Amino acid sequence: MTTAAYYAQLTQVFHHVFDDDSIVVTPELTAKDVDEWDSLGHMRLIMAVEETFRTKFSAAEVNRLKNVGEFVALIEAKAAG
Amino acid sequence: MSALVALKLNELAKGQRAAVDFVVTADDMLTFANLSGDHNPLHTDDDFARNRGFLGRVVYGALLAAKVSQLIGMRLPGRDSVWTALSLDFRKPLYVGEAARAEGVVEAVSESGGMVRLKLTLHAGEKLLAKGKAEVVVGQ
Repeated sequence: MTTAAYYAQLTQVFHHVFDDDSIVVTPELTAKDVDEWDSLGHMRLIMAVEETFRTKFSAAEVNRLKNVGEFVALIEAKAAG
Repeated sequence: MSALVALKLNELAKGQRAAVDFVVTADDMLTFANLSGDHNPLHTDDDFARNRGFLGRVVYGALLAAKVSQLIGMRLPGRDSVWTALSLDFRKPLYVGEAARAEGVVEAVSESGGMVRLKLTLHAGEKLLAKGKAEVVVGQ
């Protein structure tokens, strides 16, 4: 799976979780850029990403993330095993 | 009153289940009618309900949701949880005095996200009353 494919799939997750099809998922995207990305939205996002990509994160891994680019890198690293 | 449990996230796993058995009484219906202000005769008048094809007055859907609240708040996951989303799809009516059961099954657990999703079903015997899902934030 290419990095672009991860972004495409993650975009669908963002649109579903935040109920906003206008969100453009870029590496620089952060919570302050998305209206409903508050603490509860963050919980929903993490759960949806875990289910979509059939992976699990630790709380430490999630807490270290600074933007979507780091999130995608984490997802790719998990997929690579 | 059912016993209060307090399951933590790491004590929850996919497939785990719990149930609450209940019977909605005439007193429950009257209390809810006054609490909600919903005095629709479908829920308060047996004759009216029968004339519309039901066997008697229909239990308020919100009372089924109330039993889901008991299930989540008391049993699965219990004390250290709060539900943040709930959907219920009603299928068949429940009648006053009819024995029923609300059951929850853990469908997904996200330890890093701090939440679980429950699959919900409500039955009266074999009759499916409602099904749905709940999103629940759980203490670590």
